[in-house]
Amino acid sequence: MSELTKSTNVQSSLNKKTFVQRFKKNYIGWLFIALSVVGIGLFYFYPMVQAFLLSLKSGMGANLEFVGLENYARLFNDPTFISALTNTIIYLLVQVPIMIVLALFFSVLLNDATLKFKGFFRTAIFLPCVTSLVAYAVIFKYLFGVDGLVNKLLLNLHLISEPLNWLSDPVLAKITIIAAITWRWTGYNMIFYLSALQNVDKQMYEAARIDGASAIQQFFYITVPMLKPIILFTSIISTIGTLQLFDEVMNITAGGPGNATLSISMYIYNLSFEYTPDFGYAATVSYVIVILVVILSMIQFRVAGDKR
Amino acid sequence: MKKLKRVATYLFLSIAALVSIFPFLWMLVSMTNKSVDVTAGRLLPGTHLFENLKVLFGQVDIASAMWNSTIIAVITTFLTLLIGSLAGYGFEIYRTRGKDMIFNILLLSMMIPFAAIMIPLYRLFGRISGTAPFIGIDTLAAALLPTVITAFFIFFFRQNTKMFAKELVEAGRIDGLSELGIFFRIYVPTMKTTYAAAAIIAFMNSWNNYLWPLVVLQSPEKLTIPLLISNLGAGYSPDYGVIMTAIVIATLPTALVFFFMQKHFVAGMMGSVKG
Amino acid sequence: MKKLWFLAITVLSILFLAACGGEESGTSGDNGSGSGDAGSGDETTTIKAWAWDPNFNIAALNIAEEQYDGDVELEIVENAQDDIVQKLNTGLSSGTMKGMPNIVLIEDQRAQSFLQAYPDAFFPIDEYFNKDDFAAYKLEPTSLDGVQFGLPFDTGVTGLFYRTDYLEEAGYTHDDLVNITWERYVEIGKDVKAKTGHDFISLDPNDLGILRVMMQTAGAWYVEGDGTTVNLVDNEPLKQAMENYKAIMEADLVKANSDWSQFLAAFNSGDVATVPVGNWIAASIEAEESQAGKWAVAPTPRLDIDGAKNASNQGGSSWYVLNVDGKEKAAEFLGQTFGSSTPFYEQLVTEVGAIGTYKPASESDAYATPNEYFGGQAIVQDFSEWMADVPPVNMGLHTYAIEDIISAEMQNYLKGKPLEDVLADAQAQAESQLR
Repeated sequence: MSELTKSTNVQSSLNKKTFVQRFKKNYIGWLFIALSVVGIGLFYFYPMVQAFLLSLKSGMGANLEFVGLENYARLFNDPTFISALTNTIIYLLVQVPIMIVLALFFSVLLNDATLKFKGFFRTAIFLPCVTSLVAYAVIFKYLFGVDGLVNKLLLNLHLISEPLNWLSDPVLAKITIIAAITWRWTGYNMIFYLSALQNVDKQMYEAARIDGASAIQQFFYITVPMLKPIILFTSIISTIGTLQLFDEVMNITAGGPGNATLSISMYIYNLSFEYTPDFGYAATVSYVIVILVVILSMIQFRVAGDKR
Repeated sequence: MKKLKRVATYLFLSIAALVSIFPFLWMLVSMTNKSVDVTAGRLLPGTHLFENLKVLFGQVDIASAMWNSTIIAVITTFLTLLIGSLAGYGFEIYRTRGKDMIFNILLLSMMIPFAAIMIPLYRLFGRISGTAPFIGIDTLAAALLPTVITAFFIFFFRQNTKMFAKELVEAGRIDGLSELGIFFRIYVPTMKTTYAAAAIIAFMNSWNNYLWPLVVLQSPEKLTIPLLISNLGAGYSPDYGVIMTAIVIATLPTALVFFFMQKHFVAGMMGSVKG
Repeated sequence: MKKLWFLAITVLSILFLAACGGEESGTSGDNGSGSGDAGSGDETTTIKAWAWDPNFNIAALNIAEEQYDGDVELEIVENAQDDIVQKLNTGLSSGTMKGMPNIVLIEDQRAQSFLQAYPDAFFPIDEYFNKDDFAAYKLEPTSLDGVQFGLPFDTGVTGLFYRTDYLEEAGYTHDDLVNITWERYVEIGKDVKAKTGHDFISLDPNDLGILRVMMQTAGAWYVEGDGTTVNLVDNEPLKQAMENYKAIMEADLVKANSDWSQFLAAFNSGDVATVPVGNWIAASIEAEESQAGKWAVAPTPRLDIDGAKNASNQGGSSWYVLNVDGKEKAAEFLGQTFGSSTPFYEQLVTEVGAIGTYKPASESDAYATPNEYFGGQAIVQDFSEWMADVPPVNMGLHTYAIEDIISAEMQNYLKGKPLEDVLADAQAQAESQLR
């Protein structure tokens, strides 16, 4: 509560600034961001514009010709693209919420000052996202193989009666991919929360404890609202990450069985490098991702109530 | 009741930790085995560790790849943190309608898959090579430049700055500090944990970065760790024992960076600064 | 503090100037016939080559350099195959030949894509070697419109690797496996499985490479002879191949794998009785020393079609020269080693175990050496005999794109959709997708 009044105070004091001061501050503000604006302009926007122009062309490799919006029309009649899009949206809807909640949960548990071995637990949970994908894919395929450890475990627990074909059944393969992404990226998201939790005023928890608030109440009434900017941040980057999902699919199922696990980014890769290269159409598919992320991020900003 | 909760917490965390590190333990075991044993899924330590290391340090030059990756990662981390936090701070503290709009536009740059802008970016560096060969194709500078200025870290620092007590800025101004002085003397020390988190992520991103270094670095002596591991897996008969050994070696630096950085995540330290 | 701003602005302006200033000098280099590396103009003896696999292709390059008496220094850049494909595509399509190598290794199935997508990027090498010295099936993928761009390298000629002990236990001899059809292969498989309990073959359900092996025995592919017309619906060899594939799957002969390492484990562990793949697998089979003497190789089974041969191909690559400074030197180097040297291929087969497609080499003594691991069989000689029989096919541009479509339809076929519908649907999709 006190936090809120504090910030409104700052706000009103800002309004009282004179024009000159404001101008000077504004000018200095631009200096802070100048290098980034130029750098991103050069290294990202310039290529992005080129990529957009490319998306209006079609052809093999270097033999491109202008086709206007034909590539965009082609998307709607491309069954491979449609399955890639559907799969990616399924990954997004199922995986991102699970991971965000899990990461938040871990970070609150691991933020306890009295917890022993926190360094070990934190490092262990973070480790998956550091590990090179080459090995992790090999091992994952062993774990989820027909006579792999996962099946053995489930058989021993009598949860299944015969081994499951994790990697060659369309639904199970999707579940495997979702498990793989969650396993790999939960620790990564945990870091953002862990670091942000240090910036939450500890006195607020003490006050809440004196008022008799339970741990769960503290979580929902202090932790979540205080971490809102970071939760927004992680959900947006996870959305982007999932829409651009490539590594897990490429290394674990290569999009199969059929196209059951194909992601949009994997399709872009195939169009550019695996098949005879059509960079124009690949750029078109890339812009679909951009459009989707823009829409989803706008929704997320809106839901989080981030003031403009 | 309280004790029971404690036990449950430890049990839960232990299971989570085990699930997380199990593949890594597998790799640790595999690095001591021959390729045929690794592919057979052998879970017992073997005696082939020395031979695997000999291949990595003899036939393959893992030492120089480690060096290249380290140089790139350290420089990238430092520059990323500096540039990203300056901008994140600038966008939040000197917030105006115009800057907000630019910020939103910058966010767009995160949304395009890198594969789509790789070819134009390569062409750009091809042109840069003409006038400034020291940052052109096949230089370490070219490998790291597009990764040090990213919307990701600007966004990250901006969101964290939202949690920064802005009255400290006013206090700094009253004390007569310059705007940049406030940033370096007040903001940076206060946001230590944010920097720690950003350092972990920046180091890891750089260490694992694959596609761009692959395309832009040409000379064999500039090979980075992910490229080296990729090479080991190529061919008709890859040696999985050597691959696993290389991956364990490649994983350690980032794990160590994390282990030392996470010590800064100590609960409730910052509360006092605000009061 | 002022200094810091100054520094930041200086950095900015350098970046900007570099980017803009480069524009002019860059564009002229774009269309130029390859700017090559700075300095490569006066020191043309350094030739850069991109290849993968230190135990195979790169080892071959090293032997070639050692044997070559021309004044050439070879700089080998090792990259995985997929990595080379990405680097090459990025470099060639950006129009800047800067940093591109003189020599690059390309897999035969991808070669046409590169040759047609980047028409001016490759250097014709007809004059540097005699293409009739090479296996006929290798020439189709390495040339375009009658012009030879690739120097054929290793053969992917296939063989039926099998466990002699398992087959013997079920009552089969080597002669029972010679010149058989895939139908017969499945029958034997069922019998062996019933009598010994061992699986007969290991397959990755996501990899249909075996369909291509089967089709090529009848000289067919996913496309017609022109390399572009999609040919699925009336493709009798493909039909048979898919029927055989389904039969293998349904007869429960398969030990499924989902990964190269699991594929290797399937035979190294002694789980499967046969491995019908390219000859290059020999090294991986030999890696399990305890099975020495228990393996042999029979010719590849053929499709039950008139004119089908008991020989096929899987994999294999060739060398290409890029249109950059030093191309003549590079072509000379290739021509005098890989292109015409029997001693080179002798050393290659003894030291590396790699079999080339250079026909004169197959008469050499090195090829006739018995291999003790394979019970004294002279496998190299057998392979080079079969190599001469491999029916040539024009693989065209779209092998991988079509195979992904087939792979999706294969799921339906295995679930019971009639084969005619499966192929008709695949044909329709392929035609709409590949224009």
